[in-house]
Amino acid sequence: MVLADLGRKITSALKSLSNATIINEEVLNGMLKEICAALLEADVNIRLVKQLRENVRSVIDFDEMAGGLNKRRMIQSAVFKELVKLIDPGVKAWQPSKGRNNVIMFVGLQGSGKTTTCTKLAYYYQRKGWKTCLICADTFRAGAFDQLKQNATKARIPFYGSYTEIDPVVIAQEGVEKFKAENFEIIIVDTSGRHKQQDSLFEEMLQVEQATKPDNIIFVMDATIGQACEVQAKAFKDKVDVASVIITKLDGHAKGGGALSAVAATRSPVIFIGTGEHTDDFEPFKVQPFVSKLLGMGDIEGLIDK
Amino acid sequence: MFSMFRNLVGSKTLTPEDLKPVLDKMKDHLIAKNVAADIAVKLCESVSAKLEGKILGTFGSIASTVKTTLTEACVQILSPRRRVDILRDAMDARQNKRPYVITFCGVNGVGKSTNLAKVCFWLVENGLSVLIAACDTFRSGAVEQLRTHVRKLNALHPPSRHQGREMVQLYERGYGKDSAGIAMEAIASARDYRIDVVLVDTAGRMQDNEPLMRALTKLVKVNQPDLVLFVGEALVGNEAVDQLTKFNRALADFSQQQPPRLIDGIILTKFDTIDDKVGAAVSMTYTTGQPIVFVGTGQTYSDLRNLNARAVVASLLRA
Ligand SMILES: Nc1nc2c(ncn2[C@@H]2O[C@H](COP(=O)(O)OP(=O)(O)OP(=O)(O)O)[C@@H](O)[C@H]2O)c(=O)[nH]1
Ligand SMILES: Nc1nc2c(ncn2[C@@H]2O[C@H](COP(=O)(O)OP(=O)(O)OP(=O)(O)O)[C@@H](O)[C@H]2O)c(=O)[nH]1
Ligand SMILES: [Mg+2]
Ligand SMILES: [Mg+2]
Repeated sequence: MVLADLGRKITSALKSLSNATIINEEVLNGMLKEICAALLEADVNIRLVKQLRENVRSVIDFDEMAGGLNKRRMIQSAVFKELVKLIDPGVKAWQPSKGRNNVIMFVGLQGSGKTTTCTKLAYYYQRKGWKTCLICADTFRAGAFDQLKQNATKARIPFYGSYTEIDPVVIAQEGVEKFKAENFEIIIVDTSGRHKQQDSLFEEMLQVEQATKPDNIIFVMDATIGQACEVQAKAFKDKVDVASVIITKLDGHAKGGGALSAVAATRSPVIFIGTGEHTDDFEPFKVQPFVSKLLGMGDIEGLIDK
Repeated sequence: MFSMFRNLVGSKTLTPEDLKPVLDKMKDHLIAKNVAADIAVKLCESVSAKLEGKILGTFGSIASTVKTTLTEACVQILSPRRRVDILRDAMDARQNKRPYVITFCGVNGVGKSTNLAKVCFWLVENGLSVLIAACDTFRSGAVEQLRTHVRKLNALHPPSRHQGREMVQLYERGYGKDSAGIAMEAIASARDYRIDVVLVDTAGRMQDNEPLMRALTKLVKVNQPDLVLFVGEALVGNEAVDQLTKFNRALADFSQQQPPRLIDGIILTKFDTIDDKVGAAVSMTYTTGQPIVFVGTGQTYSDLRNLNARAVVASLLRA
C-alpha cells in the first residue's frame, strides 16, 4: 500500500526536521514538498495532496510555538494525522452476520478485477466455514459467465448464471432468490464493468441494486489508476450505496495511491486487497491496525516492514 | 490556465526565478490531467528552457508564447515519428503469401482481448481474413471470450458477403499450454490456409513478474510478429511509464537477440472513461517514442479511433 511504501520517503523527509538546527517555515516547506512529491508519484489525487499540505501548514504557527523539540513533534503528528485521513474514512467496515443471508454486490470500472475478486471473497469466507455462492449478473462482457463459472468450479463454490437471459437484473434477482431459499450465508453478485459516462449502464446498476437489496456494495478499484479515480468513484457512490472498497493488483509495482481517493470519494473503508491472479492472493485490510502502526511514529521502521 | 502568466508581464528579460512559480502551477495542472509526475516536471523544464532569456512584451505575447511552446512540445511528443500502416503491410504480406502477425500485450485487464476484437473487425471491414490465436491460456474464460467475439464478428460479416469465406477463425488449444507454441501453430495454420492476418492474444501480466515476462519474450522471439502492440489504459497514472519501460526492458534483456524485438506501437484504451484527463497519452508516448496506433473509445467493435494529437493537447491544456 502506498502509505507503507511511502514510509521510507516520509522518514527521510522527517529526518530533515531532526537535522535542521532551527525549524522554520523554510524547513517545513522543504519537508512538505518532498512528501507531496512522493504522494503525487504514487498517484494520490492532487486535490487531496494540496489539502494535506494546506492542513499541515495551517496547524503550525511558528510564532506561537516554543522549543525545537515541540515543533518537531507537532509537525510530525500533523503530517501523520493528514496521511491517516487519506486511508481512514472514519466509518466502521461492514461485517456479514453468520446464520443469515448476506447479499454482496460488486461494482466498478471495466477490467478492475471484479469477477476475479468475487471468487476470492467467496473462497475467503468459504474457508472460514461460511456457506457461500456466486451469481454472474454480467451479460455484456464476452465470456463473462464462463470466467465466473470456471473460477467457481475450481474453488468448489456454487454459482448461478445464464447463457441465454440477456437482462442482468433478472439473473441477479433469480439468483439471489434461489440462494436465499437455500440458506446461503454469503451471496455475491458480480456485475459488468461500467463508467460514469455510460448513463444507461449506471441506471442498470441501480436496478440490480433495487432488485437484490444488497447488504453491502463493494467498489473494486485497480491499484494502477491515476487521477481519474476520484470522479469515477464519486459517481458510483452517488448512484448506488457503496460501503466498501477493495483495491486490486497490488502485487504489481503500483502503490495504489490513486485508488485511495476512492476511500475519500465513497467515504468507505478498504476491506481487502488483491495481490495476484490466484484465488488466494487476497488479504483482509484493517484500517485501524494499519493506522495505529502509522501513528506509532517511533515505529516508522515497522511501517516499512509491512 | 494561462491567466497565471499575467503577472509576468513587464519589459525585462525572463529569468528562471520569474518562471519558477508559474511553471510550478503548470506542473500541477499537468499532474491533475494525469500526466506522470516526472514527465510533467520534464515538460515544464523544456518550456522553461525555451522561455528563459526572452524579453517580455504585452500579456498577449507572453501568453501566446507559452501556449505555443507547451502546445508544440506536447504535439511533438504525441506525433508519431514513424507511421504504422497495418493495412498496407498486411496487403504486402498477402502478396508474399505469408500471414501478417500482430501480438497484443500488456498488464491485466487493460483491454487487450476486446481491442484485439475491434482490430479484427476493422481488418475484416477492409477485406482481410483473420485468425485469432488464443494464447492467453491462463485466465478463466479467456478462450470463451475470444470464441464469443469470433461468433459475433462472423455474424456481422457472414460468409455470404465474402465469397463464401469465413472471415474470422479461432485457433485455440484450451488452457494451461505454452502460449509461444500455440502462436507458432496458429501462424503455420494461417499460412497453410491463406489467412491474411493472425492476431495473437496474450495473458495480462504485471511488468515485474519475471516468469511471465520471460514467457512473453519467448513468444515474441520465436514467432517474430510483424507488429508488437502494447495495450495500456488511459486510466493509468504514473505506472504508465514503469509498465512501458519494463515491457521493453524485458523484451530486450530476456531475448538475447540483437537487436531485440521491442514494442512497435501502443493501443490506448478506455479513452471514453477519462473526460479531459488525457495525460496517459503523453506519458506513454514520451516514455517510448512509439506511436499510439489506435485509441479505444468504448466497448463495441466500432469504438476504435486514430489519435488526434491536437485534440488531445487541447484537452490537456484546457482549464
Ligand atoms: N496481478 C493481478 N491481477 C489481477 C488481480 N485481480 C484481478 N486481476 C486480473 O485482472 C484482469 C481483469 O480481472 P477481471 O476479474 O476480469 O475484471 P472485471 O472487473 O471483472 O472486468 P469486467 O467484468 O470486464 O469489467 C484479469 O486478468 C485478472 O486475472 C490482482 O490482484 N493482481
Ligand atoms: N469503456 C471501455 N471499456 C473497454 C475498452 N476496451 C476494453 N474495455 C473493457 O475492459 C474490460 C477488460 O477488457 P479485456 O479485453 O478483457 O481486457 P484484457 O486486457 O484482455 O484482460 P486480461 O486478459 O484479463 O488481462 C472489458 O469489460 C472490456 O469491455 C474501451 O476502450 N473503453
Ligand atoms: Mg467481470
Ligand atoms: Mg484478455
